[in-house]
Amino acid sequence: MLSPIFEVKNLVHSYGAQIALKVDHLTVEKGEIIALVGPNGAGKSTLLKILGLVEKPTSGEIFFKGKPARPFSQVSRKISLLPQQPFLLKRNVFDNVAYGLKIRKIRDKQILREKVYKALELVGLSPEEFARRPWYALSGGETQRVALACRLALEPEVLLLDEPTASVDVYSAQLIKRAVLKAHNLWNTTVLIASHDYAWLDEVPHKTWHIFKGHIFTDEINFIWGPWQIVDGKAIKQFRDGQKLVFNAPYKNIDNPVAIIESAKINITFSPKKVGLKMIIKQVNSEINFRELKIVVSLEDISLNFKIDEDLVKKYELWPGNPVYIELPGQVDWI
Amino acid sequence: MGYITEGIIKAFELLITFDPETYSAIEATLKVSSYSMAASLAIGIPLGFCLGFYEFPGKRSVRTIVDTLLALPTVLIGLLVYALLTQKGPLGKYGLLFTLKGVAIGQAILALPIVIALTATAVESLDRNLRITLLSLGVNRFQLLLTCLWEARFGILTAAVAAYGRVLTEVGISLMVGGNIKWHTRTITTAIALETSKGQFAMGIALGLVLLTIALLVNLSLSFLRKRC
Repeated sequence: MLSPIFEVKNLVHSYGAQIALKVDHLTVEKGEIIALVGPNGAGKSTLLKILGLVEKPTSGEIFFKGKPARPFSQVSRKISLLPQQPFLLKRNVFDNVAYGLKIRKIRDKQILREKVYKALELVGLSPEEFARRPWYALSGGETQRVALACRLALEPEVLLLDEPTASVDVYSAQLIKRAVLKAHNLWNTTVLIASHDYAWLDEVPHKTWHIFKGHIFTDEINFIWGPWQIVDGKAIKQFRDGQKLVFNAPYKNIDNPVAIIESAKINITFSPKKVGLKMIIKQVNSEINFRELKIVVSLEDISLNFKIDEDLVKKYELWPGNPVYIELPGQVDWI
Repeated sequence: MGYITEGIIKAFELLITFDPETYSAIEATLKVSSYSMAASLAIGIPLGFCLGFYEFPGKRSVRTIVDTLLALPTVLIGLLVYALLTQKGPLGKYGLLFTLKGVAIGQAILALPIVIALTATAVESLDRNLRITLLSLGVNRFQLLLTCLWEARFGILTAAVAAYGRVLTEVGISLMVGGNIKWHTRTITTAIALETSKGQFAMGIALGLVLLTIALLVNLSLSFLRKRC
């Protein structure tokens, strides 16, 4: 059996006393597209930097195709990270894109030109127009696309993208998304994307991982933020419309606790339940699995998502705007 | 005010007529500043790069010392180098006192803190994303250092220009270590000091203008070089 492209074991990364990331075990298979979702400061960028071998974890091990992977090792040339803030070297676009190829000892001018031009075309930039442009004569979106072209020129086995569409216009974002998918289709590149572009993330990835407070959740989960009142071993969240949510309180003291509920444990019912809420259907999205639809329900500041059979949606008319009763498990995890 | 006009006319006259004394001072100035700059850049750029790039215990103290040395008076350097090179001094056997090489040693000491401090500042002010970008493109350790140095090239060029300006215009070291010997160690600045003490203001101004012309030519070439990079 082939080893996973990435395997992470007992990884801890801290900045001073603050633990930024803690992963007991994690694997990524070749050719997967994985979305990393989570609030700012959750640990997404840290995970990408560590997998991209640009930062060494405080402790723990990373394996690439079964072999230990470290910064400056040979395997680091097969992985490429596009950081959150695009950065170009103080040289023209051609030389920027050619840089990674040159350090890989590709010196033949014809090959360099072919690879650079192909990468620029992939990100929707005309080579004739942009190749000789200096680094300072590019817009934000163009800079981001050139930065992506620098990575695509290397035909990486793994492409790690840290919010690639966060600071660009819709047009550039569209071209970036298209280029990433093309790279995946051309070279079966494994792609990990941290992004807040939920429409894109709903559409493209094979898997979604949630990152919160430095922990990674590989199952479909939902977060319910506080404030929680802790009374007699119960955690209570009061809503403005008079509804209450009551769970068993966290067994240890946690600052600003957040409840975690697996999507698989959420059910739609047609009458109020002991642990549940009356919520409004906000979205019904199609999934890669044609028979299932993703339902998003919300109440005030919380929203929950889970999958449901297409026939049930039709039968009970679960359309956006309709109220539904949601049954939740009494026992939840806390973070 | 007549001195200034007279000085400008005299400057042209000296240059156009290839006045041997003036050209000897120009040659001495160019030679000594080239030696001192070559030495200070060769030593100062790697040291400045290390100071700016790496984190090590005592880095802040080293930085404070280097910054303090920026204010080193030329007469103090002149005195120290004189003491080292004089016959009774530890380096007296090499016979460098009252030679251009001796002056160059003093000027290199003058330029070194400038090159180190400004190179370190240029490297420190490199974007923190540069390192992440280079690592994400697969550089090895040597390529990382080399590319960071190249990315700091404009700052390092500024360091060289600032150091050259200081070396070209100093008079204390040249006078004390060189001895202002005609046809031998007389530089433009020591010649100006001499002409002024003789009351030959026009000649002094003329030599001053020649010095400024050299500085202009050097800066023009560096500016051209900057555009090419």
